[in-house]
Formats: sequence, structure tokens, C-alpha cells
Amino acid sequence: MRIGIVGVGTMGRVHAEAYRRIGAELVGAYDPNPEKLAEFVARFTVDPFRSYEELLLRVDLVDVTAPTFAHEELAVRALEAGKDVILEKPLALDAASGRRILEAARASGRRLFVAMVVRFFPQYRRAAELARSGQLGRVGVVRLKRVLFPPGPGWYRDPEKSGGMPVDLMIHDLDYVRWLLGDPARVFARRSPPVEGEVLEHVQAVLGYADGRMAIVEGGWAYPSGYFRTALDLAGDRGLAEWSSDQPPPLGTLFPKEEPAPEVGLPMAGLEEDPYELELRHALEALERGKPFDVTPEDALAALELALAVRDSARTGRVVEVA
Amino acid sequence: MRIGILSFAHLHAEGYVQNLRRISGVEVIGFSDTDPERGRRFSQAYGLRWFWTHEDLLAEHPDAVIVTSENARHRELVELAVRSGAHVLCEKPIATRTEDALAMKAAVEAAGVSFMTAFPMRFSPAVEAARAMVAEGALGRVLAVVGVNHSENPKRHRAWFAEKALAGGGATIDHTVHLADLYRWIFGVEVAEVTAEISNPFDPEVDVDTAGLLLLKLENGVPASIDASWSRPPSYPRWGHLKMEIVGEKGTLVLDAFAGHLHVWRRGQERAYEWLGFHPDPNQGMLEAFVDSVRNGTPPPVSWRDGYEALRVVLAAYRSAERHAPVAPGDL
Repeated sequence: MRIGIVGVGTMGRVHAEAYRRIGAELVGAYDPNPEKLAEFVARFTVDPFRSYEELLLRVDLVDVTAPTFAHEELAVRALEAGKDVILEKPLALDAASGRRILEAARASGRRLFVAMVVRFFPQYRRAAELARSGQLGRVGVVRLKRVLFPPGPGWYRDPEKSGGMPVDLMIHDLDYVRWLLGDPARVFARRSPPVEGEVLEHVQAVLGYADGRMAIVEGGWAYPSGYFRTALDLAGDRGLAEWSSDQPPPLGTLFPKEEPAPEVGLPMAGLEEDPYELELRHALEALERGKPFDVTPEDALAALELALAVRDSARTGRVVEVA
Repeated sequence: MRIGILSFAHLHAEGYVQNLRRISGVEVIGFSDTDPERGRRFSQAYGLRWFWTHEDLLAEHPDAVIVTSENARHRELVELAVRSGAHVLCEKPIATRTEDALAMKAAVEAAGVSFMTAFPMRFSPAVEAARAMVAEGALGRVLAVVGVNHSENPKRHRAWFAEKALAGGGATIDHTVHLADLYRWIFGVEVAEVTAEISNPFDPEVDVDTAGLLLLKLENGVPASIDASWSRPPSYPRWGHLKMEIVGEKGTLVLDAFAGHLHVWRRGQERAYEWLGFHPDPNQGMLEAFVDSVRNGTPPPVSWRDGYEALRVVLAAYRSAERHAPVAPGDL
């Protein structure tokens, strides 16, 4: 299966590295920025495509790792050209745009995998298995944290292009809550007061379920440079699962912390099980064998709608009914 | 100074006895409890004189009393105690209804004694340091606060904690007041609005809430959460925890008030693996401050008003959870 990547920013590089490790056939890439494209193809020894049209002619599977604002156009064109699509999260900037992508997938008969990578992090997967198999009893309160330093200059900072922090970042944990508990009845969120000239943002969202279960999701572009903390806490009536990135990893290092932070923070996983690798391996296997994806396009759309509800509630200060 | 304990209904009474015995010049004259089983048990366990009735204890004219009854009985005992001229340290939450809290205030003022609300976490060195960092602006502008006050279900130790008539509610009234008070104390502002989800996902045998997630908006615009759930299983290595993260423009503060612990394993015990704390006990600092304030005739470091405002946050949370809308504690 010949794979082409469109968009060679941070996520394009992360996916390319994972494809290389799993021995997938990444044949080339396209990016409107010629310098970044040249650097990328040199690094991964793949072909540069001169246009997106050329990419669509040369590959079987398109991996869209372009910025969120370009998702709809790129994904729809790939699907209409008869290609399967791996699409970086979030699905789209708004629900209508997301629905158009899903509709294009249905109309083309091709497959769409939205890369909700948190479901492939070993600790999140293991905790979800515990919860979903009933080993914790009925899970009543879920706590999730994902807070890091703000993104550097670029499109992430512009809510018109990235959807803003709830849509770009909190969507991971909102998707995870849906995976564990399903769709909530209502959402309430509070955001940090704006700081002039800064993209600092911290949001806490409480999700309420009709049957009394509840979740709190904390997300933020708010920490000093270099810090990225995630945590999960799944409390059931028969058991409890906790994990925090504050726990020591299998391999620890102590280096000066003054090194410049990367453009976008990515959480670290264990050594053996890279979540991006697990995610893309899953997608490729499901495509090759015609098996269902662990994340359906409908899941991706529902997670986006939840993130938009969080953003809406944080802005208005009102409880948003979602189900 | 002679101190009496009115009721051993609350778990904390046991710890307080030991805290008081470490303060020089303090004599614990005994405790009153109308439950004979509890009276005999704790009288033996702590070598304390047990009074059948609260009136009997107050007839000994203690300088001060600690009220550690069930939440809903605080008012009755506080009114009795202040009429006898005793200064009062009252367990949290100070009451289960605002009218009881207001009646307590009136009784205290009429008697001319002092009243302190038992908020021990103000006396945690880590909390004091966090407050100082905020005050000196080390974090810059504060963006958000994340608070966690989890525990196991306390009904295994005292059934009334999970009885609405005596406790006023469950996990939410039990825990919310600690963090609500710390937010008021650290930032020096009131809570403007509370939005909450409250339910009982953990214990079908009780008729109170076992989980509460609150999102507060402080008067300074800072959002602050409180997870007040009884979500830790009995086998958890500690009763629970009090955690707070203050996310600021310049930096973030991560507080885990009981983080300093040994990992202890014991054969043949219910809590086979335990986190055994080694930092100063905040209750000790609280009781020393209470004793000092009574001795010196100075205002207590935690006031009736502090207890009252924290109670209003709790009541706002319950109302919000019913209405699915933000509620202002000031309206209650």
C-alpha cells in the first residue's frame, strides 16, 4: 500500500518516522512550502510531489497531516479521487465541515481513519481495557489531564485555523471519555481569564451523564516551556485506576531544562510501544484486512462536537446540553 | 487551659485528643457522648473521662470546647457550650443549613466568646507556602486552579457520614469546604458562582452523594475546580488526599499536602500497603493556634464567617446540581 503524506509539519514528521519503523511504504509527500518539503524528503528519502494532484495519482493511501483548516479540502479531494484517508485529529474545524468529510467517505466507498492517538497510548489503552471489561465495576468519576506549554508562532495559535485549545488538545481526552462512558447529557466548562498578548489558556470541563456518572477534563496551553503533564484517574465502584506522567518512566534522564522547547509538545510514551506506531499499524492492518477501525469517523465527529460544546460553554459560562 | 470535647461522633475527635495532649499547659478534661457504646470505647482507648451528657461536661466549666458531633448537631452543642461561657472550636462543615450557622453566630456573639471553624489545611506548611507564593506574585497572573479532595467512603468508620439527616449530604458536603476555604484564603476573594455535578455512583446502600465535581468562578475571575468524591477504594494506600494545582502566567504550583510519606507494607492488615505520612500534622498546628487565641484573647485565625462562606459554596453546589446551572453562593 503506497502512502503519501500531505503536510510536513510536526505531525507529518511523527507519522513518517512511525511508517519507517513499521516498514510501511511511504512513497512521497507534498507540502506547499518548498523548503520544508525538501528538508522532509531528504530526511526520509522519499519523493517530493510537485502538487497534491500528483500525490493523488501516485499513492493508494493519503495521510493528511496538514493543519486543521485544510483538513476538509484535502480529505474530500483524496476520497473523491478514490483514496483511503488517514486524517490527523481534530477531524475538522466545525461540525458541518466534519459531516462533509464523513459524507465524502460514504459517497466514495473509501475508508477514513481519524488519528485519535490517545486511544493507542499503552497506559490509556490498558486503563480503558480495565474499565470496559468491568474490572473496575461501574466507572462513576473520570479525571483526565492534558496541560502543556503554549504552541509557538504558527497556525496552532489561531483559533480560526486550529479550532483553539479545546478543539486541538482537549479533544483527545473528550474522545477518551466517550470511549469509556459514551456521550454525556451536558457539558460545563470554565476557562482562564485572557492574558493580553499571550495564547495562555486553561480550561476545565465537567461532563454530566443522565445516569449520574461524571467526568472532569482539564486541558491547557498554560505551562512554562518544556512542561507537558497528562494524567488519568478512573474511579469505579469496584476499583480504581490511576496514572500520571509525573510518575517516573522506564528510562529517565536528567538534563538541563533550559533547552528550547519544540514547536508543539508531544507526550512521551514508553520505549517499546510508540503510540503513533501502534496507531498507524492499527490503521494499516484494518485497511489491508478490511477490519473495522478502533476509532470510527462517527467517533471523531462526536469528539469534535463535544470539544465545540466545551469551547461554547467556556465562552458563555452556561451549561450546554449535548445529548 | 482546660478543654472538653463535645461528642466523639466525628472521626477527627480521636486525633484531636492526641494533638491536645502534645500542647503544654492544656488539660483535656474529658468528652461527652450520649452514645454509651462510643463513650465506653473511647474512654478506654484514650484514658479519658466520659460524661453521659454534654451538660455534665459543661458543668465542669472548661475554658474551651471542641465540637465534634455529627454536622447537623453542631448548632445544638455550640449553643449549649457558649451559654456556659466556653470558647468553641467547631468541626467542619460548621452546619448543614445557613439558618443553623446564623443562629450559632448569634449565640456566640451574645455570649461574648470566640468561635473558630476547624479548617486544618490552612495550617499545612505546604499550603501556607503556596499562599505566600501567590501573594508575592511568583506565579504571575493566576489562570486556573485544579483541586482534588478525594477519600474513601467514611461510613465504614462512622455510619452517620452517609446519612443525610445527620451529615447534610455525602461526599460533597464532607469535602468541598476544605478547598473552598483554601481558595478564599489564598486569593482573598469570595466564590462568585458554583456549577456542579453531584450523584451517587459508588455506593447503592446509602442515600447520599458519593461524588461531586464542582467548577467555581472566584470573584477575581479565576476558575477553580473541586473534586469532592469518595472515589478511593478502602484498599487505597491512604484515606485519600488533598491536592491543588495553581496554574499561573509565569509558572505552576503543584501541591499535594500529604505527599511526604513512607511506603509501608504490613502483613495481615486491611491496608496491607500504606502511605504513612511524615510531615507535620495540620491538625496540630490548628489546635495550637486555637489554644493560643483563647489564651491571648485574640481573634481566632479561622472565623465563623470562614465556615459560613464555605458552607454556602456547598449549598450552592447542591442547588446547581439540581438545576444544571451556575448558582451564586451569595444568593443562599
